[in-house]
Amino acid sequence: MARSRLHSSRNRAAVGFLLPFCVLFLATFIAPICYALYQSLFKVERSGALGLGGETEVFAGLSNYTHALEDSQFLEGFARVLLFGVVQVPVMILLATVLALLLEAASARGVVFFRTAFFLPYGVPGVIASILWGFLYVPGISPFVEMFHSAGFDVNFLSEGNLLWAIANIVTWEFTGYNMLILISQLKAVPDELYEAARIDGANAWQVAIRIKLPLIRPALVLTTVFSIIGTLQLFSEPLVLKPLTGNIDTGYTPNVHAYNEAFQSNNYNVAAAEAVLLALVACVLSFGFMRLVGRRGKVGDE
Amino acid sequence: MMTSVGTSRRSLLAASAATAATGLAVTGCGSDDDGESSSKRKPGEKIQMTFWAWVPGIDKAVDLWNKQNPEIQVRLEKVSPHNSAQYAKMHSALKAGNPPDLAQVEYMNIPEFLLEKGLVELSEYGADKQKDKFVGWQWEQVVYDGGVYAVPQASGPMGLFYREDLYSKWNVEPPATWDDFEAAAKKIRKQGAYIDTFPASMGPWLAGLAWQAGAEWFRTEGDAWKVAIDSEPTRRVAEFWEGLVRQKLVKTLPVMQSPWYSALQSSDVVSWVSAQWGDALISGNAAKTKGKWRVAPMPQWKKGAGASANWGGSTTAVFSGAKHPQEAMDFAVWLNTDPKSIDLLIAGGYGWPAAKKGFEGSRLDRPSDFFGGQKYNDVFAASDKAVDTSWKWGPTTVAMINHMTDALTDAINSKGSFTDAMKTVQKQVIADMRDKGLKVEAA
Repeated sequence: MARSRLHSSRNRAAVGFLLPFCVLFLATFIAPICYALYQSLFKVERSGALGLGGETEVFAGLSNYTHALEDSQFLEGFARVLLFGVVQVPVMILLATVLALLLEAASARGVVFFRTAFFLPYGVPGVIASILWGFLYVPGISPFVEMFHSAGFDVNFLSEGNLLWAIANIVTWEFTGYNMLILISQLKAVPDELYEAARIDGANAWQVAIRIKLPLIRPALVLTTVFSIIGTLQLFSEPLVLKPLTGNIDTGYTPNVHAYNEAFQSNNYNVAAAEAVLLALVACVLSFGFMRLVGRRGKVGDE
Repeated sequence: MMTSVGTSRRSLLAASAATAATGLAVTGCGSDDDGESSSKRKPGEKIQMTFWAWVPGIDKAVDLWNKQNPEIQVRLEKVSPHNSAQYAKMHSALKAGNPPDLAQVEYMNIPEFLLEKGLVELSEYGADKQKDKFVGWQWEQVVYDGGVYAVPQASGPMGLFYREDLYSKWNVEPPATWDDFEAAAKKIRKQGAYIDTFPASMGPWLAGLAWQAGAEWFRTEGDAWKVAIDSEPTRRVAEFWEGLVRQKLVKTLPVMQSPWYSALQSSDVVSWVSAQWGDALISGNAAKTKGKWRVAPMPQWKKGAGASANWGGSTTAVFSGAKHPQEAMDFAVWLNTDPKSIDLLIAGGYGWPAAKKGFEGSRLDRPSDFFGGQKYNDVFAASDKAVDTSWKWGPTTVAMINHMTDALTDAINSKGSFTDAMKTVQKQVIADMRDKGLKVEAA
């Protein structure tokens, strides 16, 4: 009796604590998704050349989705971010891992300073980072372009071929330190006894890093990789900020930019909603796909 | 909410989908209260109207109105004109049902707002009687289907800015025809500089050049649109600039961006086919070249034809849902015709007055030190009078400009032809318009 009363009052308390979360979750997460799904199934019909004869919203079935999938620019945008992700994500995660291992292993002074210094770019908003790097890329202003030029190389960071990697550089600069910090915090959680045991067994620093540290920070590596995959698909502010500096960023440079333009430049909210839903789906498939992939491999390794 | 989509990188999948969707949700909700709320102001009643605009100095003109009209107060809110951000904001506000009472809308964007039923037809409030106060072609820019949908504010009659000192040093005459322009480009190139730049991202600039050549990209016939972007005059313009680009006689820098400003400062680019409002950009960003610039009429396709064109230009429009449309229109007319208001707007650098008498006696109507003592605006005054009045814009301008930027950039990069690019743009524009549920065909 006493126990069950305790239980129910505890339950009530739990509900009380959970309620604000649930309300917010419904209002800011579930409702907008439902609304986007709903919007993506309708379209507007107009009468008269100037639309002055009025407009009606009619059910469109999946036509907004086929419209989006037939748009070569939208699809090219996906191909572009996938190429971007395949190159940029591994480079960044590798870099973050190396930095994390180095900073964790180093007992010298300055560790805190370096940790903060590497993390600092994350504190710079993406838009500002893009403006900053934009100036370092633009010919006529950039000291780098000037330097290369006087060394006899004609470099254009914003040319059609280089642009994607110029953006990859900005993203890597922004997020390596952030990922590094997540990895470091997981490294910190490894009990010292493990290292001691390894050292007693005769493992050198390199072996400790490869055989013990890396497998133990696996969950953090998976997490940062999934975040990065999603981040790649969401690529938005960097291309938008660089756009005025180069003609090479088109309306569908990334799927997010395309959906933005569809909604706020062409006023096709329904198509934009369909594109947003598609983007969310792809992000879902890729991140869960990646987790399943590493999850399965992990199990095989355990056996 | 636009920025929340942008800054949500690296947030969880869940959060990202939510922000993307909220953006749409917020902009998507109903606009039921359109129209029903307008009412007559009672004598002595105090009202306040909101006004979204971006031209510098307009706050001073609004202040003057507020001083003179204590009962009809206008609250100015500045909006960003970059990357069409202002129109995204206006369309979102219309969708959400809380638009401003008035806003600055460029001529080329009016039909877009008509499609969304965003603007109040003003002849009901006596706008049609204001026609004679405005330059003919500019008035025609606000008239659609017999209705008046905005009050003209300013425009950008085109001409040629050039560096007189270098032109004369290199023995180059300001080109009277486009053939002369090409010849001058070659001479200037030999001196290591460029005559101009071809900005692929400046659709409205290219539209100006096509306009001068006699193109009419859009017109309506009954309830259908006729699109003629892919037409003889446009092709002529496209081929001409493609020739200059291929021969490397012009740069392909985007104008009005830092690389271009630095090219002006270093005399790498020594002239600019542009609009009247370009004066402030040159003097503001290449101050050390003071006294060295002059203005000549736009080069002609036929020598001495005196054909002109326009680049840019805005109106003051009353938005659907404005509670006091009569007062809003009165303010818009005052803002754009009152000599004192025009003076303040000119001082701020708003462009070329749409009011017929705006130029005479204004501070534009006198010699300028920056232009070596030339009364350079006489060139633009003549240009403004020569603009073809029949030009109309289509209802998907922002998207059209994007298509144009994409297609021309592709053409420059992959060496496809500019005329094919214009063909592509025409197809895309027609598809866009069909998507909007409009009847449209190629003219």
